[in-house]
Amino acid sequence: MPILTRGSFANAATSLALKTGDWRLQRPQYRHRSAPCAVGCPAGENPQAYIAMVAEGNLRGAWEMLVAANPLPAITGRVCHHPCESACHRGSYDQPIAIHSVERFLGDRAIAEGWNYPLKPSSPDAPRVAVVGAGPAGLSAAYHLARLGLSVTLFDAEPEPGGLLRSALPPYRLPRTVLNSEIARLLAVGIAFKPNRRVGRDVSIDELRADFQAIFLGPGTSRPREWSVDGTVPSDLRTGLDLLREWISIGAIPTYNRVAIIGGGNTAIDLARVLKFSGVDEVHLITFQALPGPAVRREEAMSAAPREIGQALEEGVTIHDRRGVRRLIMRGNRVVGVETVHMKELGTATGERKLVSFEGTETILKVDHVIPAIGQQLDSSVFGNLLGQPSIFVGGDARSAAGTVSGAIGDGCRAAIAIRNYLDGLPPAGDEMPRPIAFDDLNINYFDHAPRAEALILEVEHRSAEKEIEAGISHQDLNAEAHRCFSCGECMSCDNCWTLCPDNAVLKADTRDGWRYAFDYDHCKGCGICANECPVGFITMFDEQ
Amino acid sequence: MSSEEPSANIAELHHKQPAFRGLEAGHLACPGCGQALGARLVTEAIGPDVIIANATGCLEVFTSAWPRSSWRVPWIHSLFENAPAVASGIEAALKMQGRPTKVVAMGGDGGTFDIGLQSLSGMLERNHNVLYVCFDNEGYMNTGGHRSGSTPHAAVTMTSPSGKKRMGKRHLKKDLLAIIGAHQIPYAATATVAYPSDLRAKVRRGIEIEGAAFLLVHSPCPLGWGHEGALSIEIARLAVQTGFFPIVEMERGAVVNAMQIRNVRPVAEYLRPQHRFQHLFSDSPEAREELEHLQQLADYNIERYRLTSGQSESRDTEATDTVMRGGMRWS
Amino acid sequence: MLRPIEGSAAVAHAVALCRPQVIAGYPITPQTHIVEKLARLIADDQLRCELISVESEFSAISAVLGAAAAGSRAYTASSAQGILLMTEVLHNIAGLRIPLVMTCANRAIGAPVSAWNDQQDSMVMRDAGWIQLYCANNQEAVDTTIQAFRIAERTELPVMVCMDGYVLTHTLEVVDIPTQQQVDAFLPAYHFARSLDPRKPITIGTLVTPEFYTEARYMNHRALLRAQEEILAADRDWEKISGRTSGGLISVDGSDDAPVGILSIGSVMGTLSDARDHFAEFGPVKLIGLRSMRPFPIDDLKVACDGLSELIVLERALSPGGGGIIGSEVRAALSEAHSPPRIHNFAAGLGGRDMPLEIFPKLLEATRARDATRFAIIDVDTAKIAAEDR
Repeated sequence: MPILTRGSFANAATSLALKTGDWRLQRPQYRHRSAPCAVGCPAGENPQAYIAMVAEGNLRGAWEMLVAANPLPAITGRVCHHPCESACHRGSYDQPIAIHSVERFLGDRAIAEGWNYPLKPSSPDAPRVAVVGAGPAGLSAAYHLARLGLSVTLFDAEPEPGGLLRSALPPYRLPRTVLNSEIARLLAVGIAFKPNRRVGRDVSIDELRADFQAIFLGPGTSRPREWSVDGTVPSDLRTGLDLLREWISIGAIPTYNRVAIIGGGNTAIDLARVLKFSGVDEVHLITFQALPGPAVRREEAMSAAPREIGQALEEGVTIHDRRGVRRLIMRGNRVVGVETVHMKELGTATGERKLVSFEGTETILKVDHVIPAIGQQLDSSVFGNLLGQPSIFVGGDARSAAGTVSGAIGDGCRAAIAIRNYLDGLPPAGDEMPRPIAFDDLNINYFDHAPRAEALILEVEHRSAEKEIEAGISHQDLNAEAHRCFSCGECMSCDNCWTLCPDNAVLKADTRDGWRYAFDYDHCKGCGICANECPVGFITMFDEQ
Repeated sequence: MSSEEPSANIAELHHKQPAFRGLEAGHLACPGCGQALGARLVTEAIGPDVIIANATGCLEVFTSAWPRSSWRVPWIHSLFENAPAVASGIEAALKMQGRPTKVVAMGGDGGTFDIGLQSLSGMLERNHNVLYVCFDNEGYMNTGGHRSGSTPHAAVTMTSPSGKKRMGKRHLKKDLLAIIGAHQIPYAATATVAYPSDLRAKVRRGIEIEGAAFLLVHSPCPLGWGHEGALSIEIARLAVQTGFFPIVEMERGAVVNAMQIRNVRPVAEYLRPQHRFQHLFSDSPEAREELEHLQQLADYNIERYRLTSGQSESRDTEATDTVMRGGMRWS
Repeated sequence: MLRPIEGSAAVAHAVALCRPQVIAGYPITPQTHIVEKLARLIADDQLRCELISVESEFSAISAVLGAAAAGSRAYTASSAQGILLMTEVLHNIAGLRIPLVMTCANRAIGAPVSAWNDQQDSMVMRDAGWIQLYCANNQEAVDTTIQAFRIAERTELPVMVCMDGYVLTHTLEVVDIPTQQQVDAFLPAYHFARSLDPRKPITIGTLVTPEFYTEARYMNHRALLRAQEEILAADRDWEKISGRTSGGLISVDGSDDAPVGILSIGSVMGTLSDARDHFAEFGPVKLIGLRSMRPFPIDDLKVACDGLSELIVLERALSPGGGGIIGSEVRAALSEAHSPPRIHNFAAGLGGRDMPLEIFPKLLEATRARDATRFAIIDVDTAKIAAEDR
C-alpha cells in the first residue's frame, strides 16, 4: 500500500514498475529473413552476410565467410553471371550492388595476401572419397569434402586441373595467374590430385568403388551436341568449344574471313570475341534466343552474360538474335553462306516448348565458316548407368543443363554435404531454399540514392584477347558499395528501432552473445512501429499467445 | 541470427543505455503514440540538467499518475493554461540562484494554440530563457479527441464530425508559427517525430539559445487520427512530404531554413490512411471540393515556405534520416 | 524605524526585508502601489530580485508557483478580479503544498464594477486551501507579511495576507519598518524540501485516483488546522523581536464580563474601537478581532465568546442567497458552546461604502430587539431601489 506523499509528488522513473507489456496483442521479434542475393546464388553464398563484414572493415572475415561456400571467388567474381545482382533489391531502388566486384576484390586480396582457407586438415584415417573431374564442380566437391573432414583424391583426364575454367575461358575474362592461384590454394588443403587419369580409360568406376567409400562425379559434358542443318554438315566442321579450347591452349586459331557462330551462350560469345581479336573481318553470331533487354523474359534471353554480350557488340561482333539457320549454302563441301530465318521458341499444346521458324522471313548471310556452339552433352558411354547408386554422387554440367560455374560450385558443396551425411548414416539434408524477403518488406525511406561502383572496362581500341578487359574496383569503391547494401533481412545496427520506440522498450544490449538490441517485453505495447520502420525487415510481429 | 532471448538482464539494461532517457518506460500512452516518442526524443536531446513545466494534456496524464512517474528529470505540472508562466517563474528563480539548469515548458496543441496562448505570448514577449515545446497532435486528444485551433481544416473530431451539413472542422488550422514569428524571438522551428535527428538537433539549438525558443513537434495520434499505431512514423513523414506540415526554422520572425521536399506527394496519400479524413474520399462533390482544398493548402505551404528547390539536398525529406550501419546519425 | 508611510509602501518594504528572489506583478487597483514600490526598490538596487511583469494575474500567481517550486522565495499581490482570475491556481498551489505569500488588497468584485474596498475577494477564496490572515492596520500589515513567510515555509501552505484596499493601502500611517537584522533573525533562508532539482528529480503535480484523493484533501485540511500553532508561534516570536503582537489568531479587547461582543475583521476594528470610546454610554462591549479566517480558530473563538449573551458579527462580504460568511462560520463554531450568545449577523461597507462611527449604535440596537438578526445588510438604503427589487 503506497503512502500518499505531501503534495502528491511522485518519485522519478517509478513507472518502470508498471508492466505495460500486458496490453500487447502482438509482439515484435528479431527474425532473420533470407536476402534475395543469398537465395539466388547458385553457389550457396550469402553476399549480404559477407558484404556486411566488408562494411565493417573486416575483409579477411568476409573472405572466410565467402569461402565457406565458394572456394574460388577470384574466379567467380570474374566469370559468374551473377544472378545475385539480378535479384538484388537495391536494383528496384537504383542500381543493384556490384556483388561480383566485391567478390572479385576479396578473391584478389586473398591471393595477394596469401590467405589460407580456415580449414583443419582431415585426420589420416578419415573416410576416403574420390572426386572425378577437376572442373568447378569437382574442385568445389573436393574442397568441401576436405572441409567436412574427409580424405579426398581428385582425378582429372587433363594434365592440369580446372576443367572448362582452364580450357574454355579466355584470359581476357579469366587471367591464368588468377586461375592458377585459386586452384593451387584449393589443392593445398590436402587433396591428392591425380592428373592424366581418364575414367573409363585409365581407371574404372569399379576400381574407384573398391578404393573409396564414396564417389563424386563431375566429368562435365565432354561430347559436343550433334548439329546439322537438314542433315548437311560441312566437311571442315569444328565445334565452338573445340576451337575455343584450341585457341586458349595453343594461342592460334584457323584464319577465317567471315564466320557465323551458331549459339547464344558464353562459349559462342567467347569464341566470337576471340575470333574478332584474332583479326577475323566479320564475326556473326546467330541465335534463336533474344538479346537481353528490359522487355525480354529471362527464358527467352541469350544465356550468355549480358555484360559479355555488350562487350562483344562493342568489339564488333554482329549478333542476329531470334534467328536460326534454315539452310547451309554450300559450294561443294564448303560453306559459302547461310540462310537464316526468324525463329522463336513457343509453347505447344502439351506445354512443351519447341522452336518454330517462320516461313517468309529468310535472309542470306555470306560466310565462309559455320561454327556451332550449341552446347555439350554427357559422355554416357562411361557414366550412363550410374544413376541410383547410393555411394555415387554427381554434379556440375553433367547433372543439369544449367551449365554455370557457380551452379557447379554449388553442386559440389551440396554433394559434399550429402556424402558426409551418407557416410555418417544420416538422412539426406533437405533441399528447400527459404523464400527471400520481399522488397515491400524493407523500408526504403531510410536509404538514399548512391551511384553503383562501376569497374573500369578497357576501351575497345585497347582490348586484346590476352589482357583482362574488366578491372576490379578500388578499395574506396568497395567500401562505398558495401555501404549501399540494404542488408535485406539482417540487422545492420542502424538504431532505428531503438530510436523510434515510444515506450523505451528497445534496449541496446551489446552482450557477449553479439546481440545488439533486446526487446523489453515488460513494457513493449506491440504498437509495431519498430517493425514498420526497420529498414531491413528484421522485425516481425507475431500474435501474442 | 535467430531470435532467442539474449542473456542480458533487461532491468539492468535500462540503466546502461547510451542515451539519456528522460522519459522512461511504463507510461500509459496509447501504443504508437507520437507524443510519447516526441517527448522521449526531446528529453534525450536535452539531458538531465533540465526542469520541465508541463501543461495538462495527454503527455501529463500518461506520465504522472500517482504514485508512478515516467520522468527522470525534475518535472512540474500545474494547470492547462499556465505552463509558460510557471516556466517563467522557474527561470527567474534559477537566474537568481545562479544555476545554469535549462528550463523547458511543454504542452499539447490545446494548451499552446488555445487556452495557453496568452501565457505563451507573455513568456515570449519577455524573452525568458525557456524552450517551449508544443507536441501537436491536432486536437484535444486527452479528453477524447476534440477539435482545437490546431486541428486541420476538414478533419473530423468528436466536436467537428462530418455529416449532412458538415465536412469536419470548418475553420483552418491556426497559423501558430506566424504568431510565434511576430514575437521576434531568437529561434522557432517546426519538427516531426518522423525525423528524429532533425528534431534532436533543433532541441539542442533551442536549448543553446539565450532567450526564448519555440519548437512545434508534429505528433501523430493513432486513436484520434484513426490509424494503426505502427503507421505513426510513416504518416508523420507523409505529412512533411506532401507539404501539409512544413519543417522550417525561424529566427526573429524570418524563415531561415526550410526542409526541402525532394518528391512532393499528393496530399491524398497522407490523408487516406487516417480515419479522420475518410469522409473526403466519398464520391460527393463536397468531398471532392474539400479534398482539393486541402491539396491547395499544401501547395500554398510549399509556395510560401519554398519547400521545393528541384534538387536533392543532404537534409531533405528523403535524406535527413538515412540510416548507417552501426547506427551513427548526424544528430 | 518609525515613519509616516503609505500602507502599500510599508508592505513593499516588509516584503523586501524578507529577501524574495522572484516577484511577479500585474497591475490592478488598489494593490498596484505595492508592486510599484518594489520595482522602485529593485531599480535602486535596494532589493536584488527578479520582477516578472506578467501579462495577467493568472500568470502572476503561476510564475511565483514555479519560482517557489524551483527553490526561491516568491511573492505577488492582487485584488478582486485578479484574485478571482487566479482561482484555479490558488487551489493548485495549496494542493501542491507550495509555500508562497500573496497580499490581497481587498476590493469589491464586479459586476457591478467597483474599485473600492470590501472583502468579498478574499472571502470567496476561503475554500482554496490557503491560510488567510487579516490586518487591522498598516503596522499589522507589515508585521503579518513578515510572519507570513515563516508560517508558509514551516507549514508548506500558502498564505494570503489581506489588507483593506484604499483604507489601508493608500493611507498614510506612522509605521515601524523593522531592520534587516530583525527580519533575518526571525526568517531563515528559503528552503523547500520538494524543490525542483536535477540532482534529486521528482514529479510534482500528479494525477490522483479516488483511492487516494480523499487522503490528499484530508492532509490539507489537517495541515490548515494545525497551522494555528504556527500562526501563534510566529506572532509570539515576532513579538519578542519587535515588541508587537498582531493578534495571533483572534484578538479580544474589552472586559471579560462584557455581555455584548462585536466580532469583525480588518480595518473596521479601528473604527469600532474609536466608536466604543465615543459611544461610552453603551457600556462594556467586547471587541473580537478575527485575524485568521483560515484556519478558522474555533477553539479560540469559543473562549473569546464565553460569557457573552449577545454577539454581533460584522462583515464586509456576503454569500448572496445565503447570508453572512463569517456569521455562518461563527454560528457553526458556537453551536458547540454550552451556552452560546444570541448572534446577530450584519454585512456593511460593501463596495467601499464608508463605515462611520455611527454604525456602532446601530449594531447595538439590534441586540435589544426581540429577535436576533439572522442576517442583514445594515447600511442598505432601500429608497435607492425600485419597489419590486427591494
